[in-house]
Amino acid sequence: MMSTFEAAWVIARRDFVASVYSRSFILFLIVPLAFLAIIMAGGAVADRAANAAAHPRVALIADSATVEALQATRARLAQGTSDHVFPSLQAIDPAENVDAQADALLADESAAYSAVFSGTLDRPVISAPPNVDRRVVDPLTLIVNDARLQTALQAAHQPPAFVAAHRRITGQAAGNLRIVRNDLARSTQSLIFGITVILTTLLLSNMTEEKSNKVIEILAAAISLDSVFLGKLAAMLCISLVGLAVWGGMLGLGYLLVQVVQDWVTLPDVGPAIGWPSFVLLIVLYYATNYMLFGALFLGIGSQANSMREIQTLTMPINFMQFGVLLLAANSVGSDGGAMTWIARLFPLSSPLTMLGLAAQADAIWPHLLALAWQLAWIALFVRISSRMFRVTVLQSSNSGSFLGLNRLLLRRKVD
Amino acid sequence: MRSQVQAVPAIEAKGLVKSFDGKVAVSGIDLAVPEGAIYGILGPNGAGKTTTLRMLLGIIEPDSGRRTLLGHERPLEAAKIVGYLPEERGLYPAMTTREAIAFMGALRGLPLEVGRKRAAILLEQNGLGDYVDKPIKSLSKGMAQTIQLFGTIVHKPKLVVLDEPFSGLDAINQGRLESLIRDEAASGTTVIFSTHVIHHAERLCERIAIIAGGRIRFEGLVSEARERLQPQVRLKTRNADGAWRRALPDDARESGGHWQFELPPAGIEPLLKALIDGGAGIEELSIERSGLHDAFVAIAGESAARAMDESAQADLGEAA
Repeated sequence: MMSTFEAAWVIARRDFVASVYSRSFILFLIVPLAFLAIIMAGGAVADRAANAAAHPRVALIADSATVEALQATRARLAQGTSDHVFPSLQAIDPAENVDAQADALLADESAAYSAVFSGTLDRPVISAPPNVDRRVVDPLTLIVNDARLQTALQAAHQPPAFVAAHRRITGQAAGNLRIVRNDLARSTQSLIFGITVILTTLLLSNMTEEKSNKVIEILAAAISLDSVFLGKLAAMLCISLVGLAVWGGMLGLGYLLVQVVQDWVTLPDVGPAIGWPSFVLLIVLYYATNYMLFGALFLGIGSQANSMREIQTLTMPINFMQFGVLLLAANSVGSDGGAMTWIARLFPLSSPLTMLGLAAQADAIWPHLLALAWQLAWIALFVRISSRMFRVTVLQSSNSGSFLGLNRLLLRRKVD
Repeated sequence: MRSQVQAVPAIEAKGLVKSFDGKVAVSGIDLAVPEGAIYGILGPNGAGKTTTLRMLLGIIEPDSGRRTLLGHERPLEAAKIVGYLPEERGLYPAMTTREAIAFMGALRGLPLEVGRKRAAILLEQNGLGDYVDKPIKSLSKGMAQTIQLFGTIVHKPKLVVLDEPFSGLDAINQGRLESLIRDEAASGTTVIFSTHVIHHAERLCERIAIIAGGRIRFEGLVSEARERLQPQVRLKTRNADGAWRRALPDDARESGGHWQFELPPAGIEPLLKALIDGGAGIEELSIERSGLHDAFVAIAGESAARAMDESAQADLGEAA
């Protein structure tokens, strides 16, 4: 009798070769990249549109000195903060009736002004509806007052020179480090979550396909079902790693190209607490355990179902659980302990993401060794439960049975 | 068929019972398949043949009873020396024939490279050399079944279990399969197969089990099954009447000028003497041994035999 791992290797090798050498694998590699490109392009366009739409404009009906003073002040303030903080200012020649001109400008949809400044720096008038005070009127008032102050100082021949502070370079500030590491933890958690959600769908159809090919009985007669399930999980993990290597390689290459073009090749100077090499290794390991844990669940359910419709029905609770697990893990980032954090670390499905977050924040390696052993034990248990469930409800049954008995209702098979 | 059958059982089952959802599928199955034999399990659809084979192979566990497979109580322990062709044929459609055969061998512990070489040889020997690198999906149903059969024997098992192997095959492929089964048995392999076509079992097997309604109705040599029925005497005489009529048994039937009746327990010689002495004027006299079909009817009953015939007819239609 072959050992469980020998037999799993036979299954994994077949599934891996069959998947990687299929035309659909090319699609599998291309589609996420295409999606990413579309999302990035769409995001950039949406961002630009949002910025354009969100940046308010103010008409300045004033003499040229006032207009110059206001525009110069705006430019100075924006340089020290952000251009988005202040409305853009546009000079308009004054008409006879300034109030009527202001009302007309505010009503003109093509000009799209949010407010109108008129008068002088000493007697400013801002015409605007009441709902733009915080975004338009307050920053404009700041500009007016600063311009007034600058003008007064210039008139008194006492303008203070701009003082550049002496820059003393220090090591990382703890507060900054904490923020960066929290961001790193959450982004890697989200990355692994996203990839797992995408790739576990591959597993869903796998066992259903196996049943429709009617190969499962040949497998069950030759090797243990634990080996079948383990082999399928391993194959899918390897396939996903090939995908990740290809996607990661392409993104890395793109990043490098951009850096070379920009003539600056730098590595992030703030890293995870555990160090980049260990962190990258832990990303791979926790990705693998996260994938195997959810994969075993999905495979168990996929084996019970006879159609994609049944799969969708049966996996919905697990999809919700995946989101819950992500929230639980994300909540533990930056936490100094507490019951919820420990639950997130110990609950097998949230453990990989939570521990990855910990790797970004703390430098101890031993908790990760314990966590990986803990997660592997749960993978073995999930595989065992899935294969037992399959044997009990499908192979042991006269009908093609299913979890919740769904396909007993849908499909009948003869006893003999 | 091999004339010498060794006494050591390749498969032994005692009191196997299996129910599905409270419905008894098989009840108290006892089997002993001698090593090196070609053994047939006969029964109509729904009789419990597949359930029995699945229990023997460990695909499903019996509710009660024991079985050993080549001496192993856990069937998977013997997996490397067992080949199994299930009733529901299954192959990966995109795989080439060579890879499919090699993969099935690999499942039984045969190194993939060896499996590929043996697959090529098997295909070549059986006139399918041109299909070595063809995908399964491009083959006819009969060819695909043949490929699966090669996958069942590629690792040179000591025991081959075939569930309805002739089902869906045309006459030519059925003949090929019979030859293959004989070849396997000739090389010392034990072959056990289920069928609802009596003449396959009659031609191939020396031992059979007749199963109907989830129970074994007969288990033993084919000749023993036949001997359950007395041979039939067919007689035609020149004289329609006379003293010779007293020599005929009470249940003798006449049809178209021929008399038919069971051979009397005393044998043919006293009967022959009485007919001659009684002036029958014998024109024709023959003793016909009963076939397995008749034995099946006698053992399993008319309804089981009718179900067998209907299944066989359905198979013919499918193969056509």
